[in-house]
Amino acid sequence: MPKYLCMQRNLRTADGPQGQKPSPAQMQEMYAQFGAWQAKFKKNLVDMGGKLGQGKLVTSQPAADGPFVEVKELVGGYMIVSAESLDEAIEVARGCPGLVGPGSGVEVIEIHTP
Amino acid sequence: MSTPRLVEHFFRHEYSRLVATLSRRVGVQHLEAVEDAVQSALMTALESWTVAGLPDNPSAWLFQVAHNDLVGELRQRTRRRRILDENGADQMGAPETGPEPLLAGEVQDDLLRMLFVCCDEAIPPESQLVLALKTLCGFDVREIALRLFSSEANVYKRLERARNRLREVPPTIDELTAMQYAARLPAVHQILYLLFTEGYLSSHAEAAIRQELSDEAIRLASILAEHPAGKVPETSALLALMHLHAARITARQDASGGLILLADQDRALWDQKKIQVGLTWLADSARGEVFSRYHAEAGIAAEHCLAPSFEATRWEKVVECYALLEQIAPSALHKLNRAVAVAEWQGPAAGLAVLEGFEPPSWLAGSYQWAAVLADLHRRCGHDHAARRYRDVAVKSAPTQAVRVLLQRRLQVAEFERR
Repeated sequence: MPKYLCMQRNLRTADGPQGQKPSPAQMQEMYAQFGAWQAKFKKNLVDMGGKLGQGKLVTSQPAADGPFVEVKELVGGYMIVSAESLDEAIEVARGCPGLVGPGSGVEVIEIHTP
Repeated sequence: MSTPRLVEHFFRHEYSRLVATLSRRVGVQHLEAVEDAVQSALMTALESWTVAGLPDNPSAWLFQVAHNDLVGELRQRTRRRRILDENGADQMGAPETGPEPLLAGEVQDDLLRMLFVCCDEAIPPESQLVLALKTLCGFDVREIALRLFSSEANVYKRLERARNRLREVPPTIDELTAMQYAARLPAVHQILYLLFTEGYLSSHAEAAIRQELSDEAIRLASILAEHPAGKVPETSALLALMHLHAARITARQDASGGLILLADQDRALWDQKKIQVGLTWLADSARGEVFSRYHAEAGIAAEHCLAPSFEATRWEKVVECYALLEQIAPSALHKLNRAVAVAEWQGPAAGLAVLEGFEPPSWLAGSYQWAAVLADLHRRCGHDHAARRYRDVAVKSAPTQAVRVLLQRRLQVAEFERR
């Protein structure tokens, strides 16, 4: 099955609702939803990935903090899912609690393997 | 891979444990920093556990993360302050060493201590309640507003008042003395009672979320009863009262959430186990000479729980308890309740006689309880005109649809019977 890279994007709007912090009870709810989602798409979830931290662009030029500043701002984390099609991969990503919502979206990209 | 299940209210209760323990270690004047650290540790846990699975000891994991975060934050503040004030003494209570492991029983002690911290006499009771809901139950401002039927702004204001006071508490006298424990105990009882009744007695609709408040009150009162500072007959009476009321909670509503009168409740639905626990606490509360309002109220609840049917209730005992309650805690509402019990015992005219010549305070006179009781008693005495007048007031001032429906049913059915 083809694999897809899912990248969480922070979609910051000018004056969008500054997401309120979830309460402990809501976190419990999110934890349960996440568990249900993982159980449902068990076969698709190849690599749960993780959050992205510091980085540095390595080039032949000596310059270079360049695009990373923005990437850090924009990409929260990644994971890899396997799916029959882009649509199925989208379905998996869409179902992930907290991934798609106000202030956050997910970019789903097919990984071509030889 | 799948995420293992967590016990119910895990996040909320971890929140309260961590806030209690950490604020004892660094000083309650840093409560806000503590709460921020705990909140962010829980978020980290949520992110990490869903990907990597649960650690062996989730509580210890959380404690470590929250502790490190808090110490880092407090160190940074100290550094900032030193830059501002070269001679400033280091008043930050951040421990220099790593976290000591949590000792068994320590967490319970910390929760209890936090409960007494909330009941600072310089904090108004309504702020005490909000502070307890925030720190000891782990509800956030939105959730508290929802449960107290208040606005978020109002809850926030009350919380701020409490926090401002705690910020003033000098670190040196932060440790509560035995005398302070004793002095604050009545306030602690009151706040637990308030927490319980907010969940139980209120006629508001969302039963499930309200029952949580009652459960929280029982949880905290149980911790109190285990502790030397709280091991007094009043605490036992309070626990008796809570269990005896909670035993009947499911029978109070029908399938659609409508309220059911005591007389119509299916007594088979009452939770016998809770009744037994309540009665054990009631027996325990009888040691010593104290007879508090909680004793009186637990006594009333016990009479209802032990009665095989509404008709077979020992109303004379209920009346006696209400009379005692009125003596200990004079309130027009207790008088009204006594009138109801007297009416069941000696007839509606005797019930009305209790209220004869009594001018209710305005908060009660305008309430549906007052109007509904008078409507019912007058109706049963055959005073149709007065009955109708009070019924209209009662229906009009009913706070929720559930109560309105109940009143209409009770007062209408009765009128139908008379025809």
